[in-house]
Amino acid sequence: MKTKNYLILCAAVALATSMSILFMPGLSDTVETRMLSWLGNNARAEQPY
Amino acid sequence: MKKIALQILGIIVLIPAVGMATLRVENQNADGPSILFPGGEMTTGRLHTSPEPDWGFTDDIQLVELQLNDPMASRLIYVLEADGRLFIISGYMTTMLGRLWKEWAFEADEGNNQGVLRVDDVRYPRTLVRIEEGDILDGVAAKLITKYGGAPNASPEAIARTRAGIEAGNSWVFELIPR
Repeated sequence: MKTKNYLILCAAVALATSMSILFMPGLSDTVETRMLSWLGNNARAEQPY
Repeated sequence: MKKIALQILGIIVLIPAVGMATLRVENQNADGPSILFPGGEMTTGRLHTSPEPDWGFTDDIQLVELQLNDPMASRLIYVLEADGRLFIISGYMTTMLGRLWKEWAFEADEGNNQGVLRVDDVRYPRTLVRIEEGDILDGVAAKLITKYGGAPNASPEAIARTRAGIEAGNSWVFELIPR
């Protein structure tokens, strides 16, 4: 893919991602919950604060 | 082929990055923080105006919501009661991570220390005062070790080590004083 087309695709994907999170009910909560779960599984707590 | 792989990788990195940025911006004006992202001004909950409660009840509470008024933002934070006084602690303060992540602590230390604590849907107007020395730090260290460190008891050595870390500035302790 040519660079110009790729950048247009990136912009479209970024816009679609943002709009989906902002306007699809419950999606932001789902994303945050999944992210928290992933962090909980992968992060190693060395200092509890 | 390599170019296509890099382009696909770019898209894979882009989606979560934009997602996180969007969630952060979305939460900026929320009534309090989410688990991952800072929130805005806390507007709901009863405003506490009566005498100070016995803060011992916070021993059963892992996280409280703390708002600083300038800049206006709220976050979840650990809370410690010692000798009837209420404290919060901010770690990693001598690291680059601390400078980026704990900007609120630097703001509070510089004098932008007016805020609101929200516990169990009650809002307590507070002033944050950094405590850098004094025997109260023994009590704070002991509570930190037992409440968040998972130790059944705090040994004198562990308390001394934790207190030394606070006095060296590795962790900053703020007392939450009523205003």
